[in-house]
Amino acid sequence: MSLFRIFVNQLEEDDEDMSQATSKKVITREEWEKKLNAVKLRKEDMNTLVMNFLVTEGYVEAAEKFQRESGTKPEIDLATITDRMAVKKAVQNGNVEDAIEKVNDLNPEILDTNPELFFHLQQQRLIELIRQGRTEEALEFAQEELAPRGEENQAFLEELEKTVALLVFEDASTCPVKELLDISHRLKTASEVNAAILTSQSHEKDPKLPSLLKMLIWAQNQLDEKAVYPHINDLSTGQLEDPSV
Amino acid sequence: MNNSYFLHKFRHSSKPYYAMEDDEEGEEESPTELNTINGLTNFVIISPDKLSLKYTGVAQHGHDVGVVQSNKPAPCKRLAYYFEIYVKDAGVKGRVAIGFTTDSFRIARQPGWEVNTCGYHGEDGLIYLGKRQGEAFGPTYTTGDTVGGGINYDSQEFFFTVNGTLVGTVSKYIKGPLFPTVAVHSQNEEVTVNFGQEKFAFDFKGYQASERNKQQIEFDMMSIPPNICHGLVKNYLLHYGYEDTLHAFDLATKSIVCPINGAVEDNIDVQDTSYALHERKIFRQLIGKGDIDAALAKLRDCYPQLVQNDKSEVCFLLHCQKFIELVRIGALEEAVKYGRVELAKFIGLTAFKDIIEDCFALLVYERPQESTVGYFLAESQREVVADAVNAAILSTSPNTKDQSSHSRLETLLRQLTAGGLEMRSLNDGQGEVFSLHQLLMNNSNRKRTKKTG
Repeated sequence: MSLFRIFVNQLEEDDEDMSQATSKKVITREEWEKKLNAVKLRKEDMNTLVMNFLVTEGYVEAAEKFQRESGTKPEIDLATITDRMAVKKAVQNGNVEDAIEKVNDLNPEILDTNPELFFHLQQQRLIELIRQGRTEEALEFAQEELAPRGEENQAFLEELEKTVALLVFEDASTCPVKELLDISHRLKTASEVNAAILTSQSHEKDPKLPSLLKMLIWAQNQLDEKAVYPHINDLSTGQLEDPSV
Repeated sequence: MNNSYFLHKFRHSSKPYYAMEDDEEGEEESPTELNTINGLTNFVIISPDKLSLKYTGVAQHGHDVGVVQSNKPAPCKRLAYYFEIYVKDAGVKGRVAIGFTTDSFRIARQPGWEVNTCGYHGEDGLIYLGKRQGEAFGPTYTTGDTVGGGINYDSQEFFFTVNGTLVGTVSKYIKGPLFPTVAVHSQNEEVTVNFGQEKFAFDFKGYQASERNKQQIEFDMMSIPPNICHGLVKNYLLHYGYEDTLHAFDLATKSIVCPINGAVEDNIDVQDTSYALHERKIFRQLIGKGDIDAALAKLRDCYPQLVQNDKSEVCFLLHCQKFIELVRIGALEEAVKYGRVELAKFIGLTAFKDIIEDCFALLVYERPQESTVGYFLAESQREVVADAVNAAILSTSPNTKDQSSHSRLETLLRQLTAGGLEMRSLNDGQGEVFSLHQLLMNNSNRKRTKKTG
């Protein structure tokens, strides 16, 4: 290809890039920062957001202290949180039987109306028995409590089979379903119980803060279609990054 | 951060409608009745309450349509707009139509026939989008039917309903403010309009909720690592000096936050230093109790550099708050004396002058808390001062990272809000925007109805 041709091609390419860039509104960093500074946020609202997080996640002491230090009122009675947290903690520590008892003390309807939750709690109980090496007990428990549930529900049966597979391997770390033994599985179950209790108390089961972060990601994606402007790409730093035009 | 940030907050943020400036739903005009003065009403007679119309023409051709617009255009700074008509009498030919037109519409023709108009016609159930030829759309409608027309600013669509059921949507091809429009075109045709003064047959609230939920489904597919939220809350508590809360929070989350990536944890620690955390907490406590004298004394002790310039913003706000505290306990003479000694020197500076005037206005009222400047006595004023002192102390930190004017949470919220506003302005000013305040208000309202329901 002659140099001239290459040059013309390059110009044409540049032209294309230009028209692509100019079809979107370009907002400079300075302009964007001005818009950011013009936003009015009430401190009160941000406090409420933080309190909502503390309360929904169940951090009672932190919520109490926050009420005292900031004057923000928690949206639900802190006493109900203590009960809920006791259940959550029990599951996190692997004391599932204890957790089930506590949930029923709190509100027997929760487990009655939540067969999936109940199954997951029983499953966690089985996992703990296996973890402790109480194989005979585990098998008995699986047969008596979990197998009947599995018969009623295909999904439960699959979960049950996965869990029992843990027994096959002497060294659990080689088992393909070893993530069931992971602490994160306890946390998952704990989270499920937490959500069910909150729902039964007519409280939203999720804190608002994560949805706002998702909204931010979504909003930036939407705006990208129409404008070029500084982004926040890393939520953990909140740093404004200039658009890569 | 510019100097006037806290001054602005001190002056305005305790007002009841602060940060509601984005609540344009209340500010925007909305249709309330039929328009009787724009010269379109040659072939109709409009009822005295301006909510009904009846055809009076002869219906000999296509230019004697009895078409009427609403008095105001549909508001657009919201998710959607909706109105309904009730066909009282479909008359001889049943040529009722409902739709939207612009303010340049001045011809006695059916909505939808002219360009930049849209109409759903009862006679044939077709939708007309600026052409004489209509497209199949929904059922025909006649006497006794309630037909609704709406605009969804999010999806940029028109939608129509018949007797409470959505019958179809079509792309909104018209720009600019749109007027709800009704038409009648045969003897005895009579229609009543409902701009929201009566309950709608269609569950408009439910429709809006389900539209908002569509977004929710996308969100449910995203996941945010729990570390991020914990980090943001921790940074918030550190930034504002909520020391006790922070310690309780750290304790509670120690076992939960599994350091997925050790480096990430370190990063967070490096950014969130706890410079003067204990001092800042003490200051917040003192100011929160209204003990300004103690706060000033401690400031002189621990951070003399901040009070060296006695015309600094921090000094001003503390003195103002002291003045307010004196008014609060009714020590008016002392307040005046204090004002003369400490506040007079600020009068020359315009930024401060307005606030001083507002504060002094408190003296005039027997019951200042009930006056128009009563909001200065709100607890939130103390909080503004505490935040200002907090920021001032942070500014003395050798670590430049501490001097960021906002907590990371606030930075993200600002980006979200600004992004939403920009999107709306690029969408011809149409649609809903994110407002933290609205979100939190809606949540508490929803909970209230849930409990009684």
